[in-house]
Amino acid sequence: MPGTTSTEEIERVIEKKDGGGGGDLPPAGGQGGGGGGDNGKKQPNRPISPGRYYTGIAIGIVSVLMFFMALASAFLVRRGGSDWIPVHIPTLLWINTVILLASSGTLELARKRLAQSDVPGFQRLWLLTTVLGIIFLLGQVAAWRILVKQGIFLASNPASSFFYIFTGAHALHLLGGVAALVYVARRNYDPAKVTRTVAAEVTSYYWHFMDALWLFLLALMYMGK
Amino acid sequence: MVTFDEGGNASSSTGSGFLARLFSTRHKTIGLQYLWLSLASVLVGMVLSTLLRVHASWPDTAIPFLRGLESTPERYAAVRLLHGSLMVFFVLTAAPQLGFGNFLLPLQIGAEEMAFPTLNGLSLWLTVASLAGMTASFFRPLDSGIDLWLVSAAIFSLAALLSALNFSVTTIELRTTGMTLTRMPVTAWAWFVNAILSLLIFSVLLAGCTAVLSDRLLGSNFFSTAAFLAQQPQNLVRQGSLPVLWQRLFWYFAQAEVYVAMLPCFGIITHLVATFSRKPVWKERLVVLSVCGVGVIGFCVWGYHMFATGMNPYAPLVFSVLASSLGIPAAFLLASWLGTLWDARLQFTTSVLFAIGFISLFIAGGLSGIFLARHDLARAAVSEDFVIGHFHLVMGVAATFAILAGLFFWFPKLFGCRMKETLGKAHFWLTFTGVYCIFMPMHWMGLLTQSTLLSGVQRAAVASAGASIRTFVTVATIWTVAAQLLFVVNFFGSLLRTKMAEADNPWQASTLEWSIPSPAPEVDFGGQPPVTYRGAYELVGTSPAEFAPQHLAPELLAQKAR
Repeated sequence: MPGTTSTEEIERVIEKKDGGGGGDLPPAGGQGGGGGGDNGKKQPNRPISPGRYYTGIAIGIVSVLMFFMALASAFLVRRGGSDWIPVHIPTLLWINTVILLASSGTLELARKRLAQSDVPGFQRLWLLTTVLGIIFLLGQVAAWRILVKQGIFLASNPASSFFYIFTGAHALHLLGGVAALVYVARRNYDPAKVTRTVAAEVTSYYWHFMDALWLFLLALMYMGK
Repeated sequence: MVTFDEGGNASSSTGSGFLARLFSTRHKTIGLQYLWLSLASVLVGMVLSTLLRVHASWPDTAIPFLRGLESTPERYAAVRLLHGSLMVFFVLTAAPQLGFGNFLLPLQIGAEEMAFPTLNGLSLWLTVASLAGMTASFFRPLDSGIDLWLVSAAIFSLAALLSALNFSVTTIELRTTGMTLTRMPVTAWAWFVNAILSLLIFSVLLAGCTAVLSDRLLGSNFFSTAAFLAQQPQNLVRQGSLPVLWQRLFWYFAQAEVYVAMLPCFGIITHLVATFSRKPVWKERLVVLSVCGVGVIGFCVWGYHMFATGMNPYAPLVFSVLASSLGIPAAFLLASWLGTLWDARLQFTTSVLFAIGFISLFIAGGLSGIFLARHDLARAAVSEDFVIGHFHLVMGVAATFAILAGLFFWFPKLFGCRMKETLGKAHFWLTFTGVYCIFMPMHWMGLLTQSTLLSGVQRAAVASAGASIRTFVTVATIWTVAAQLLFVVNFFGSLLRTKMAEADNPWQASTLEWSIPSPAPEVDFGGQPPVTYRGAYELVGTSPAEFAPQHLAPELLAQKAR
């Protein structure tokens, strides 16, 4: 960094409450965010601060939350209608919920292993998390099939429309989470860009958020019918 | 549409093929690509508005797209929709935030690149896809056209979300040493607050589009039932109108979208007024607070819609109070601009003329907004022409003036030379008088001929007066659109002269983007991020002794002064 001038005189930028990068923020070059084509030819490989990933996921979560909040408020307005026929939530959904909660637990265990530098143990538990996530998704598909067999389709009535859009949109977002889990396990880490610990932590925030979001949606559909 | 990138890289091409440059993830290339996108959109959008005006005055003339309306009346709405979509999404939302913001935000905060360049590139190409979709929907039959438009709007929302994420993370995380929040230029503040607001509202638009598309394509029941409409208050359900819930979902997006278009313009105007007045921004903290205030109130107006389940009798009042309370931060901003201009040695460049034009239009349009925000006055004022006049002045034209002001100011940074001042000033005066001649009479026309307070007989009596105003407006439109030829000549003429040497900091501005050569080099700051030593607007004159650039160390500044 530019040590030629009297940097002591100036106050350093310390904006990160959780002690991230702060004033020592190194030049990011063009290599952030997983690489961009012709960038950064002239820059040496300097490590980039992980702060952007934490902030990025936090902001991303707020944005996803707004998406579901808009639908939830529409749900609350809409359920007063006389054409509203509540959907009976299949029992399978409760089992799925337990599986998803368990996956959050295994994810935390995996991160604990990583903190102890037990990479094989981390990989095993991480894989278990991924598998639990996939089982949850398959379980959701099975729940849809149960409803379809009962003759409840997306187009049947407003309540069923909301049931399918809530579960569908959540499943789509969770699928993104599964992709992130696979990516974190598989990618080769260039310590100059991002460490495995950071990637795992950022992914875990999203995964736990998906978990909490599912509980919220389930409660909304269960109590709001 | 293949030509987006030509000017953008003319000055900074170093080998690597055309495709590599087209799909570059550099913030400067992407910023320029957005600006080219906006330029193409604004030109097409202007031509469409001229067609609409000509049709309004002389319905019998054969006009492209508006011929044979008797058999296909929906074509008229289609032209209006395309005009509105191009202008709102690809000019007002894209140019001030995504165009200038992408190019200048990293330069102004000393960041070298956006936080997530790949996402940034993705966002650009999603925007291009959305533009292509909206344009194509115009040529489709009504039903499939609407589906295609909704898909495009959803894609645009996604693009806007990705950009907003990038802008906010970049501002929070990548500021250079010494660039504290209080030292950040007001432009950067405005882009940041705007990104946060976009993040919240575009999620809602995305949810709304998803639900409507699912209703239209998959037959779900989010919006479309008579039972739901029947239990809504009668005054909200008009015959043949869109279902109420969708309208609400759309409007709480659309209301906030106004602020999304205006916020970066507030930043640009504050920045330019201070730079050309050679004075610090008057009450800078208050300005930043006002910018945040516009964001917060913009979100509350919207959030109020979202959480109000069912309409209660107080709802119009609450809404009216919220909408009016926007006047408070707006008044602060206005006071600051005027306070900065007060007694200043103002340099009358084209850029500052457009900035003053913005202030004038903002006042004029804001005043007519009071009529619409008060629910008792709105009964008299809400007529098609009055509302069109109001939002074109305050949102459309004012924001366009801010974009032009910014373009004249940053043209050397973008392309390496200034635009011609004389041509620019002629363009300004013709446009400025032109837009007032279009939109002021339009208010009058709305009050006179479409007022709901007049009975049918009374309205017929004033109809003839309305016809002559309408013709005047149309002539003014043609004149204003023709005046834009001056801009096109100036713009492209200047691009041809980019090889001419230009001072790196022709305006003696103090922010970081002017600490590097013009046009901005391949690698910002030559790989050596600057250090910031002071606030953004320590301006008191034009010689280096008199003004203090943000990047100059105190001892170097003292040296220069000697």
